[in-house]
Amino acid sequence: MGYLFDPANWEWLFTGNNARFILEGLLVNIQIALIAMAFSLAAGLGLALARLSRMRWLVFVTGLWIDLWRNLPLIFVILYLALALPEPWRDAYEDAAPDLLPDVLQTGRVFAALLALTLYNSAVLAEIMRAGIQSLDRGQHDAAAALGLSYWQRMRLVILPQGLRRMVPATVSQLITLHKDTTLVSIIAIQEVMRHGRIVTGFNFFGGVQAPVLQVFIFIGLLFIITNLGLSRLSRRLEIREQQRSGTTVKPISGLEDQVATAQTR
Amino acid sequence: MGTLFEVLTEHFDELGPGFWVTVRLVGASFAIALVVGTLVAALRIAPSKWLQRLGGMYVETFRNIPLLVLLFISYAGLRRAGVPINNWVAGIGSLGLYTAAYVAEVLRSGVFAVSKGQVEAGLSLGFSHPDVLRRIVLPQAFRTVIAPLGSITIAMIKNSAIVGVSLLTLPDLLKEARIVQARTFQTTETFFWAAVGYLLLTAGATIAFRLLERRFAIRR
Repeated sequence: MGYLFDPANWEWLFTGNNARFILEGLLVNIQIALIAMAFSLAAGLGLALARLSRMRWLVFVTGLWIDLWRNLPLIFVILYLALALPEPWRDAYEDAAPDLLPDVLQTGRVFAALLALTLYNSAVLAEIMRAGIQSLDRGQHDAAAALGLSYWQRMRLVILPQGLRRMVPATVSQLITLHKDTTLVSIIAIQEVMRHGRIVTGFNFFGGVQAPVLQVFIFIGLLFIITNLGLSRLSRRLEIREQQRSGTTVKPISGLEDQVATAQTR
Repeated sequence: MGTLFEVLTEHFDELGPGFWVTVRLVGASFAIALVVGTLVAALRIAPSKWLQRLGGMYVETFRNIPLLVLLFISYAGLRRAGVPINNWVAGIGSLGLYTAAYVAEVLRSGVFAVSKGQVEAGLSLGFSHPDVLRRIVLPQAFRTVIAPLGSITIAMIKNSAIVGVSLLTLPDLLKEARIVQARTFQTTETFFWAAVGYLLLTAGATIAFRLLERRFAIRR
């Protein structure tokens, strides 16, 4: 305990630009998480709709696809793609990456990371969305059909607005998981917060101040706790506002880490 | 197709033990997660505000911190601080304590599903509060949360892959696959067999929990 709180062991935090360097690393994580989340939401919605379609073979194929990516460890997928993606793909990403992205995110390795995060999270989100859509009363679907709406109109105007509202809490908890999972891309040498932390502890002796591993990573852990608590606070606020606006309590689809409570709907 | 099976037969004495390390890692971490998770859940429903807050802090801390950071703290961090912790203890401890937060949350929801009347009945029969928990509430709570516990176990199996590739150098399945890959450059073949290993484990856990559910679950 004495070692942990010894001011000498925390001096590094206020020395040079160590704290700023680590915060810059965290910003990379947040950016990766947001980009991957945007792609995953779009892909997840597509997968969920495919899995609920009337074509048997499509349901079967998307079911296999979702179960495959959901049940493989994310770190496994990241490593595999980093090793196995063909070189031209990475070059294509480097060419296509918009300039407004920071330099770290324009390297070809990031493509493997983003692809892995999207494959995994879109599969998880697809199951959350499916649970949300299936939890609606069947009558909603039938009533919309009876009104003469086409499939896409029914989805867009009736089913999705209600179904997706129910999955907000589960989606936010998945975003928290995704934010934590972005630390895994440090394994394939992307310069984010874990790498920055190791650099600070490794060869950083500005003015004779040594940065101990324990304290540096406790600091990084605290940053994650703060950002993630902020996210869950935000989700609760959204929920309450939604309740006040619509005057109804929304029955949320519960999701814990990446475990989707599909058991409820099965 | 030929090379696919060659990779398995040639490197089975690396991938096989790696699979076994993953199994042991998952088994030991699961035991810790169950024990610590139950204790934390008990704290969260304890009759004292301070104990509740303590349990809440545990859950919020371990749920919001990345497992990789936890592994860095528990292994590299503590070692540099002079604590002689070995890689198995750090790996099992991190994975177990991390998962315990999720177990505690699920158990707490299971406890709320047990009606308050049962607790009051138990107390009025002269049971102490811990006895009511141990003999009346928790046995029922466990039986209502079998399905979510199964999902947590599957997530833990997947998370175990993080342990091996972090600084710990535990030779688990993914680590061994990486070693074989680096030597042979047969990336897809090697990772295919590692994927089979992980899917076997997650499928096994799914089936085991489904059987448990059929046998013990209380439907509400």
